[in-house]
Parts: sequence; C-alpha cells; structure tokens
Amino acid sequence: MGPVKVAAVQATPVLADRDATIGKVIALAETAAADGARLVAFPEAFVPGYPDWVWRTKPWDATATALYARLLDQAVVVGSPATDLLAETARRLGIWLCTGADERDENGSTVYNTLLCFAPDGTLAARHRKLMPTGAERLVWGTGDGSTLTVTDTGFGRLGGLICWENYMPLARAALYARGIDIYLAPTWDNSDVWVPTLRHIAREGRCYVIGVTACIRATDLPGDLPGRADLYGGPEDWLSCGNSMIVAPDGEILAGPLTGEDGIVYAEIDAGAARTARQQFDPAGHYSRSDILRLTVDTTPRTAASFRCDGPGRPTSQQSEAG
Amino acid sequence: MGVLRVAAVQASYVLMDRDATIGRVAELTAAAARQGAQLVVFPEVFVPGTPIWIDTRPIWDGDEDWYALLADNAVVIPGQAADQLTAIAAEHQVWLVIGVDEREPHGGTIYNTVLYFTPGGELAGRHRKLMPTGSERTVWGMGDGSTLPVVDTGLGRVGGLTCWENYMPLARFYLYAQGIDVWLAPTLAVGDGWISTMRHLARENRMYVIGVNPVLHTDQIPAGFPGGDRLVPAAHLEASGPWLEEGNTVIVAPDGTVIAGPVRRREETLIADLDLRQVTVQRRHLDPVGHYHRPDIFRLHVDTSPRPVITQTVIGGTDEHRANGEPASSNP
Repeated sequence: MGPVKVAAVQATPVLADRDATIGKVIALAETAAADGARLVAFPEAFVPGYPDWVWRTKPWDATATALYARLLDQAVVVGSPATDLLAETARRLGIWLCTGADERDENGSTVYNTLLCFAPDGTLAARHRKLMPTGAERLVWGTGDGSTLTVTDTGFGRLGGLICWENYMPLARAALYARGIDIYLAPTWDNSDVWVPTLRHIAREGRCYVIGVTACIRATDLPGDLPGRADLYGGPEDWLSCGNSMIVAPDGEILAGPLTGEDGIVYAEIDAGAARTARQQFDPAGHYSRSDILRLTVDTTPRTAASFRCDGPGRPTSQQSEAG
Repeated sequence: MGVLRVAAVQASYVLMDRDATIGRVAELTAAAARQGAQLVVFPEVFVPGTPIWIDTRPIWDGDEDWYALLADNAVVIPGQAADQLTAIAAEHQVWLVIGVDEREPHGGTIYNTVLYFTPGGELAGRHRKLMPTGSERTVWGMGDGSTLPVVDTGLGRVGGLTCWENYMPLARFYLYAQGIDVWLAPTLAVGDGWISTMRHLARENRMYVIGVNPVLHTDQIPAGFPGGDRLVPAAHLEASGPWLEEGNTVIVAPDGTVIAGPVRRREETLIADLDLRQVTVQRRHLDPVGHYHRPDIFRLHVDTSPRPVITQTVIGGTDEHRANGEPASSNP
C-alpha cells in the first residue's frame, strides 16, 4: 500500500463568509498539495466557520438570531457552486480534500455540522452530518442520521471520521471500526489539553491513524460587520480557538503536532498497511471483539422529514382528495 | 452523593505464591484503611501474580510446569483464598477489589478475574476478563457476558474492565449504561499511551477512573523459583530491562485531568478523595448513555447469559442417574 503524506490544515476562517473562506481553503490546499500531501483535511465547520457565538449569547436573543440568519445565508448547500468549487479544487490538485462545513438542504432552514470529503476525481465521496451537537451547539445545528456513517476507500487506506465530541460516542466509533477504517478524521473545535489523550486513545483503540484538525481564530480575525461583534468579542488576547491540530499513529504515538497558537499545516507520512499490521495486537472489530456477547446494530436508513408518495398519474386535485 | 476515599495499591506480588501474596494484600489493605480509604483497589491478577514467562519465552517452550504452578496457586471460589480475602475486607471495613488468577474447583483453565468484596464480608461481584491479549490467550480462558457487574457501594457505583479489555467500546458502553461513577481498570499496561486511555475513558463517560498496576523487578523473583534460571533469558533482560512490571497507577477525574500518579518503578499506594457530585456536574456536558446517545441509530444487544461448560437435562430421572453417569438426553 505504501506511505503517503497527509496534511491537517490549522487555519483561520473568515467567519460567516462562505466565499472568502473557500478562497482560503483553495489557497491552503494548493500549498499542501505542492508539499506532496495526498489528503488535505480542514477543521470542523470550517466553511464558513464554527458558530462560536452560541457560547457567548443568550439563547434566542436578538444578536443570536441575527447571527443565525447570517449563518443560514452563508451555509453550504451540496450541489451548489460552493461545493462545485471544492470538488473542482480536489480534482485539479489530485487530492482528497476533506472539510467541515455548516451545511443545509437546498430549501432547508436547519444547519448541519457536516464533514465533506471530495475525491481526486472531483466527486463528493462522503458526507457525514454530526449525529449530536454539543451543549449550546444544539441551538444552531440539527442532528444527522445513520446514513452518513461511511468509510471510503482512498486507494491508500480506508477513510472516515467523526466530528468533535461525537468522538466520545463509543458506538459510533465502533461502527467505523467495523467498516475497516484506517485513516480517522477528527475535525474539532476542542482545543483543550484533554483532547490530546482522546485522539491518542482512539488511535490505539482502532489501531488507525487519527488526524485531528482544529481552527485557529481570535477576536481580531472576525469581520467587522458580524452582528454583535463589539459586544461579544474583545481584542487579540480573545481566542475563540487556539488550535490543537495533530496526527497520531496507530500505536498512539504523536507523529506531528499538536500545533497551538498559530496557523500552520501539520504533515505526516502514514501507511495503512502498518495500521492493519498493528491490529495483530488489537483489533476491536475482529479478534478482540466478543460478538457472541456484544452485538451492535446500526440503522443506516436515511431519515428525511417526509416521504412523498403519489399512486395516481399526477398531482391530486382537491376534488380527488375529497373522493378519497 | 458524598466523597469517597480510594486507595490504588501499586505493589509487588510474591510470584506464583498465593498465600504469601495474600499476606501482602492483608498488610497493604491495613495500611490503606489506616489512611481512611473506603475502597481499596489492587492490580490485575495480583494473586498470585502475572505468568511472566509468556512474554519472556516462546510459548510451550517447556513452560508446562510453570502453568501447573499457576494452577496450584490460583484462586478457587468458594475456597480458602477467597475466604481470606473476604476476611481482610471485613476486618478493615473496606470495599476490596482485587485481580486474581481464578479457576474452577476441578478446572485446568485459568481465568483473569476481578473480585469485589464488601466491608460486610461478602463477595458482591466477579468479573472474568472477556478477552485476553496476545500471549495471555495461552494461559487464560475467556469470560462470558454474565460477569459484567456494576456494584453499588452506597458511596458511588463501581465497576470496570481489565487491561486491554478497556479498549472494547461495546463492553465499556454496557457498563456505562448500568450507571457507573468510579471505573476500575486493573492492568499490566505501561507507558503514556495507557495514561491517554485512562484520561479518555474518564472524559468519555464523565466518571472517575482508577488504573492500578503491579510493580516487579527481576530481583524480586523468589529464590529457588522452579526453573528460575530460565524464567527471564538474558536476551529478554537486555531488550526489555530489569522491570518485569514497571507500574503505571493513576487516578483521573471526570473531566480527564490526572489527580494522582502515574507512579512507576516503585511501590506506592495512591490515595484520593473522589467528590462524586462531579460526575453529575460533568454529565451536564456529556452523557454517552443519555443526551449524547443516539438510540434510534445504535442499538447494543448484550447477552448476559452464563455459559456453563455443559447444559445438562434429565428427563424423568433423578440426580442419582446423573451421579451414576447415565447419559442425559433432551429427547423424550
């Protein structure tokens, strides 16, 4: 299978500005690709940024509502020019391009915390909506269903991941292990010291490479016209996130990072063959599982708000409805 | 919810000597009780110790006599050793949790078992490790789903898993679902990677975590140990150093911060006061079996049936028939 170089891009979004942030994604992906990276990962909800204000506003107050309106307007719709541009970038650079996005359905008013993975052929190979937002995040993000817990073959290892504290859901992780994950993406906003042992643990538990990637942003990086900007945020000492990006080997040793307090690209060489060999010692979905005792069932059915059915030839009239 | 004072005992066993090791348990428990400990936790298979030859030599390379020694010194329940441990807990009025090499009264297979004794002198719980690791599979059998207890001490709900069993997400989830405040992880695992796991577990279920290891230097192999000259070959000593058990005992708070330890390369009993209210406080942030669970997507089925060696059915007969060795049949 052979080693390949991967990149975790710790960067600053232009918060709540989709096009400007996509511009940064493209420029940084070009840099990482020029450095030889075959997979380039960006942080949680990077386009157009993590809605940090949920932790600073009172729920549903006027500022929080104005900020939600901005987020909704700037959210990413899959199949729109925004994702076309990301897909084209992946194709042009010949890389796997993975980024977090505030995402919504075309005609939807709920935003989801989604991880998008574009393949080097320019297709959207995976879309994972976070299953459970954390605390105040529940005021701006909906919950994904089980249909997006996928693992994708890249040719240099099987790729998947979970977002932020979703990584504390043991059953979600077990589902990915059972799908044979080698390269585990963990885009996050968690920039605490305690996050580091969690990523090391996951690497050891799944015997996989873990790519943790975090945004780095402070108050002075925020657009001047962001609603509530002056009241909610301070100066350069006011960090929204100081970053925490790192790459961990299947034995739990840290290969690169954690990078904190600055933007930068964290690189490492990974080899999925080595991850699979490491499972001689521990394989949570194989010789170290006890499927006679512990059986996990995962419902991967897509759950849309409604299923529409029409048995007749066309649109029913009110008369037909009355006729029953 | 109050405060629970715990003792995590990092100590040396007397290799493959059950009675001498239980003597150490008595002495170390007494010392912990003098410091006010209400829950005293000992390492994995502390009585009568780790079958260290499985990692120092090839398997079946003349190790059968050592296995027989292990079987002779294993703990049988009920039995004299279990009675002694019961008495130690009762004498010092503590919850005593300890790893043992356990076997059935007439059994030739050893299980890696953790026993929970109450201050009232009862055996309140028994957990047989579900899956041994690597070379361990050549000495230990596997437990069934019937021994995954969470024990209510009245001062918090206590349970846990043994060594790398702690990497089994589904087994952990089953225990989380039973409501657990203090997680006990008797282990032999060394190094910082293991400490990461202890911290992760604490944060994953917002509970206290107590990891407890033995410590043993090659100098502590008893004089006159049978085949002692072959036990730790020079090449192994050179590659791995003189510590057969390096120790790694640690206590972690529900937010993942380390309260005490890790302590290595010496005997030491870590004492900590666990404010159990912090468990509830932290679950405001994360509760993996509550508000942060998705039972609509994930369903975990756990088979907790005891799986005895045989299931015997006697139709129209009595125990005498069985005693006489007549074949049991389920066919009418």
